[in-house]
Amino acid sequence: MTDSTFHTLEAALADDHFPEVDLMLRRGRHIGRDDGTAYDYLVDAQSLLEPFYRRFGCELVQQSDGYFYLLPSGDRLGRRQLSACEMLVGQTLALLYLDPATLQHGGVLPREALLQRLSGLLGTDALVRTLSPRKRKYDERIAAETVRTQVGEALRRLSELGFVDVLDEARLRLRPALMRFAEPVRGLSDPNVALERLVARGEVLLGEQNGDENGADDDATEGEEPAP
Amino acid sequence: MTDAPPSADPNRVIASLARDQVNLDLKTVDLCFLAGLYLRADKAALASFEEDVLIDLFEQVCDVVDPGAENPRKRATHAIQRLREQRMLARVDGAGIVRAGEYALTRLAAAVVEYFLADEALTRESLTLLTGTLRAQLAEVLAAAKKADGEEAWRTKVVGPLRVTVADLVAGIERRQRGLDAQQEEVQAEIAKLLSADWFSAVDRCQSLLDATTSTLRELNEILLRDTHHFVALLQEIQALATATENTDAEATVQRVIEHVDRIAAWGGARQRAWSEYYQYVHRYLRDVVRLDPDRALSQRLRDQLAGWPRRPFHLVTAHAPSIRLLRALEARVERPPVARPRAEREADPEWVDPENVLADIDALVARALDEGKTTLAAVSEQVLPELPETIHYAATGRIAHAVAQAARVRSERERPWAPVGERLEVEDWSVARRDAP
Repeated sequence: MTDSTFHTLEAALADDHFPEVDLMLRRGRHIGRDDGTAYDYLVDAQSLLEPFYRRFGCELVQQSDGYFYLLPSGDRLGRRQLSACEMLVGQTLALLYLDPATLQHGGVLPREALLQRLSGLLGTDALVRTLSPRKRKYDERIAAETVRTQVGEALRRLSELGFVDVLDEARLRLRPALMRFAEPVRGLSDPNVALERLVARGEVLLGEQNGDENGADDDATEGEEPAP
Repeated sequence: MTDAPPSADPNRVIASLARDQVNLDLKTVDLCFLAGLYLRADKAALASFEEDVLIDLFEQVCDVVDPGAENPRKRATHAIQRLREQRMLARVDGAGIVRAGEYALTRLAAAVVEYFLADEALTRESLTLLTGTLRAQLAEVLAAAKKADGEEAWRTKVVGPLRVTVADLVAGIERRQRGLDAQQEEVQAEIAKLLSADWFSAVDRCQSLLDATTSTLRELNEILLRDTHHFVALLQEIQALATATENTDAEATVQRVIEHVDRIAAWGGARQRAWSEYYQYVHRYLRDVVRLDPDRALSQRLRDQLAGWPRRPFHLVTAHAPSIRLLRALEARVERPPVARPRAEREADPEWVDPENVLADIDALVARALDEGKTTLAAVSEQVLPELPETIHYAATGRIAHAVAQAARVRSERERPWAPVGERLEVEDWSVARRDAP
């Protein structure tokens, strides 16, 4: 507290960064070192903002990988669980983040690498069935197109949430927040136990996706096919 | 040489290269052959090679590159021909078929081989040496520019050294910068390779590679910032003298060197920024990923988690406050009035106007002229046209001829004479007789 620029909550809220940072956090954005002064502000004002957000039924979480996010623990602030596609893409990106080969280009990788790794890890059939669980039969071409569309949409959402930067149509930059997807297996304990602990903390929900809670808007294209 | 002449328009150069269908197709054996020639020429101070020497050398190269190859002499002949076609080898004896040829490596071949052989990365030593020489050279040019008293002196003492010596030195720095770029890429690849192979054990080596490159870049950038400032100051002084003496050629040459120097200075800043980003990223990676997972178990565990996810899905939770909804102010529904305009009598009463019937007028006027005894088409036209508006005179001559032909008997000579009608028209004349005439 003594090192902080802000001595009172009023001073922290009066800072120019607060409105933008507050909106970003409430919209689920993970704010990391790559966000520059927004991150610096949060580090500076953390001890004042933590109790502030607790009053809204949320926890301002700081991870050792160097990012902040807001975790709703009550019903006062809307919350959303990531879709199946977002989870698959997020975990694959986390895996790529850990890969030393990605390091060579400073965490920048082509989109194709994501799709290749995703289909390589899960297999095309499992991937299609996971992303379109209601379909018993599928045409290979349409299915591939659907997967690409859903992955593109998932990337857009993950980018909004601060897990990845979409640099252009072909390239992505991975951000440390992706390590959230690896949380269940980060420790040496049994992953199931770790997962239960995360569920208890409200970080994770188990089971099929239920959509947004608290009536939040969601224009997800889950299960939809691209227009012909 | 980067000091392109001002006339080297990029569009024209590209168009001419495309027109000539310039291309290079060098196989490994060709490159090895060229490198062998280059090194032998360098070692023995040879300016050219006899044909037999070329073939012998090719056979030696072939033994290394493709040991089992059949008929190496024939392959040598093809290789020499291929390299000549691609302007890598030039025949320099001019003896034609009288005797076996003598060949030399072209500038293009030397440049290609030098690229592969030379290890010209920028170092503190090479940069200091180059910048020192460049500064001395520029000071000399400036002194010469101050003394230059004519076009010839400017050309030989200022423009010449700027175009050749100074530009070569600047290009030398730039070439080494590109060498350092390549070295940086190698360092990045090396770090990735070290981590892939040794993971936690490679951390210290990666850190030292990062630190070494960082300090090299910082040192080089400092030298570049300091020295390029001096270069530009000297060059601007030379340029001012050139402007004062209205020597546009010298002025343009200095300007090109200044731009080149600016580019070199910009390189230092840009590379340091880019390296800084990379450094931070790798540093974080080493600290947060490698050091926290020394056994590299996390990747495998995450892979297993991902593979098993469809069977036991879980979903991360994030905050999701919807955007604030701005409700519109309440307002009563307004009936939009129908589109209308005041009633009015919009039909105007018809007015009496003079009739307009030029055709009837022409018929009547022609009949009157005939009655008055006109005997030629020209005479009839001469009488009728003034009665009509001038704008239709040209068109009316045709109508008059038609009316005359209808109302009278017309006759024409085989070669119909042209007769003037008024000041601006002529008609092919007919003689006209009334129909009731004998």
